[in-house]
Amino acid sequence: MRTVLLGPQRFMTTAGTALRSLGVDGPVATINAGWEEREDVVDELDTVLGGDTRHLRLYHRSLDVITKDEVFGAAALAFRDRHDALLSLYRLRLQNAMDGVYAVQRRTREAEGRARGEATAYSALDDSIEVVRHVDQWYAAQLKSLYAELDAASPIDASSVIGWHRGELADLLGQAAAVVLTGGHVGTLLRTLRLFAIRIPDEVPVVAWSAGAMALTERVVLFHDHGPEGNTEAEVFDRGLRRVRGLVALPHARRRLRLDDRDRCAVMARRFTDQHCVLLDDGTALELTADGGLPLGARILGIDGAIHELGAPNGSHGANGRGAVS
Amino acid sequence: MSEGRLAINRLRERLPVDGAAIDRFVARYGAPIIEGERATFLFRGEVDEVRVRHRVVGLADPMPMKRLPDTDLWAVTTELPTGSRVEYQLETRHGDHYETFNDPLNQRVAHSPMGSSSVCAATGYEVPDWVHHDPEARPGELVEDTLRSKALRREQPVKLYLPARYNPALRYPLLVVHDGTDYLDYAAMKTVLDNLIHRLDVAPLVAAFVPPRDRLREYPNYAPHARFIARELLPTLAERLPLIDDPHARALMGSSFGGIASLSTAVRYPGVFGSLFLQSASLVFTDIGTDHGGGPAFDPVVKFVNRYRAKPTAPVERIFMSCGTYEPLITPNRSMVPVFRGAGMTVKYVEARDGHNWEDWRDRLRDGLSWLFPGPQKFVYE
Repeated sequence: MRTVLLGPQRFMTTAGTALRSLGVDGPVATINAGWEEREDVVDELDTVLGGDTRHLRLYHRSLDVITKDEVFGAAALAFRDRHDALLSLYRLRLQNAMDGVYAVQRRTREAEGRARGEATAYSALDDSIEVVRHVDQWYAAQLKSLYAELDAASPIDASSVIGWHRGELADLLGQAAAVVLTGGHVGTLLRTLRLFAIRIPDEVPVVAWSAGAMALTERVVLFHDHGPEGNTEAEVFDRGLRRVRGLVALPHARRRLRLDDRDRCAVMARRFTDQHCVLLDDGTALELTADGGLPLGARILGIDGAIHELGAPNGSHGANGRGAVS
Repeated sequence: MSEGRLAINRLRERLPVDGAAIDRFVARYGAPIIEGERATFLFRGEVDEVRVRHRVVGLADPMPMKRLPDTDLWAVTTELPTGSRVEYQLETRHGDHYETFNDPLNQRVAHSPMGSSSVCAATGYEVPDWVHHDPEARPGELVEDTLRSKALRREQPVKLYLPARYNPALRYPLLVVHDGTDYLDYAAMKTVLDNLIHRLDVAPLVAAFVPPRDRLREYPNYAPHARFIARELLPTLAERLPLIDDPHARALMGSSFGGIASLSTAVRYPGVFGSLFLQSASLVFTDIGTDHGGGPAFDPVVKFVNRYRAKPTAPVERIFMSCGTYEPLITPNRSMVPVFRGAGMTVKYVEARDGHNWEDWRDRLRDGLSWLFPGPQKFVYE
């Protein structure tokens, strides 16, 4: 299984090089539903990828489904409303839980100057982060229930429109020598991937960047420290295709995260401590190893809040990839 | 910067000077002259008295200018903290004749339904780039509509903003804007919406811009107005447009009396709207006695706010409030923040060194709209 994760392609285009490095011989299927209504504006993409492309047009197909299949359309809109309501509650709980973490973290730092109470302070920090994980898990479980309700309200197998698209997409994917997933709106990308049950065979190489890279992972985490509404906490959004395991993809990390705030970064790394928080900045190109692991040199957030390179003397990874990163 | 080094004082030290030297001085420095946290207002002319008129709480209004000896140049210097923005006019007296007008030496002017004023911007104030037309931002559409209102017993015009890429297959939140025409004309709100939606700062939304007819009667806690908004406008729009059917996706907005109209409508119809966007709301009240100082127009406002303060409720979940630190309403606005919070609502409150005017309200739109209707920025990774 060959998979290459890239940084954003806006200022530094590396997708063509990455594709050529895979030695692909044949048509390339592109999934750029994250571009939404600009999905068909693909001249530049075609040029970069060498021209032999098959655009799956998942976004336009999803609009076609919503328009033609009234039952599914109504169920999808109801799902979206309920998902928005769930997200709203999740954000409320998350913010409160994170406020608790930062408050304890401040106290922990104070405790570092005093031997007495240090162990208790660290224990409180671990436990407060566990509360955040619990909120993340609660949200994921609720979302799973919502999906089950959506499936019950409008069984996808019963939709001839969706079935038709799925058939056509299976043909297109079946002819593809490689698949490219672009950036864009990761929510739209995930929704359309799910709607059309896109499965990328292990043997088909994949190149993905930004939102596309996130969509390949197990757990898609949204983040933006510089939005107009100020700091908002990183939030778990949905499951991805799970082709890539053991990492949280952080595209544009330098532009979107306050990487100089080590306390904040440390909390993020500890919150997702079972996975690597991988920085995908401009120019980054990571071909995963044969067993799906990150290559040496991949830049990750350590639980000390600093950026480390895998394999570097101060950043070599232990059993779970985090042992020496402290 | 010390007083002695101000440009006007350097000119004073060179006196007497001729008219040509004054011309050069004005041409070089313009007016008002901003030096650090000092602003020097200027006027040239043969008059008996010149004063700067403004409404900045804390500064003398009017602010008399002094004539530089043996010249026709008048000046006054005042403190102007970083980031301030002040609207003002000049007032001259020639014998018994008074005249008020915009500063002829200052081309920067702000407009409002009451006319125009000169603008003095301090160091650190910049017009936000998102208030100007951005050719890359795809424009939304303004659609003229009219509703027959039984509550108001008239035809009520409404301008509907539909965002770029509006698609009936999707669903949108709704923002109802009091003094809607003024927000469009004086706060560039269509351009602002186009830009903020384009930048992903604000979610694509539908806005209903509603103008009043008899504002002073309809806006301070007027039952027919509230009924029109909640029981006529809202259902009609929900029928005609693909709106999200949930209170959290509905907000009422207004400035000054429009803020009172928003709050009083929400109080009359609790739970219908999820949030309020109140800008310099006329939240005037009395703690004791009846002298509120606002004149008869504020009587119904004070009655409403006093009643609300006596028994605060939470008609919405969230309130975004903004107020200018230089306007008289700053104290009531600050005072209401803990009252709203105490009632159980989440309140985000921001202040700016500005006054009770449309450009102040325009400049706060990004803060308020992005908080109430966060855009998909967090979802987009190009």
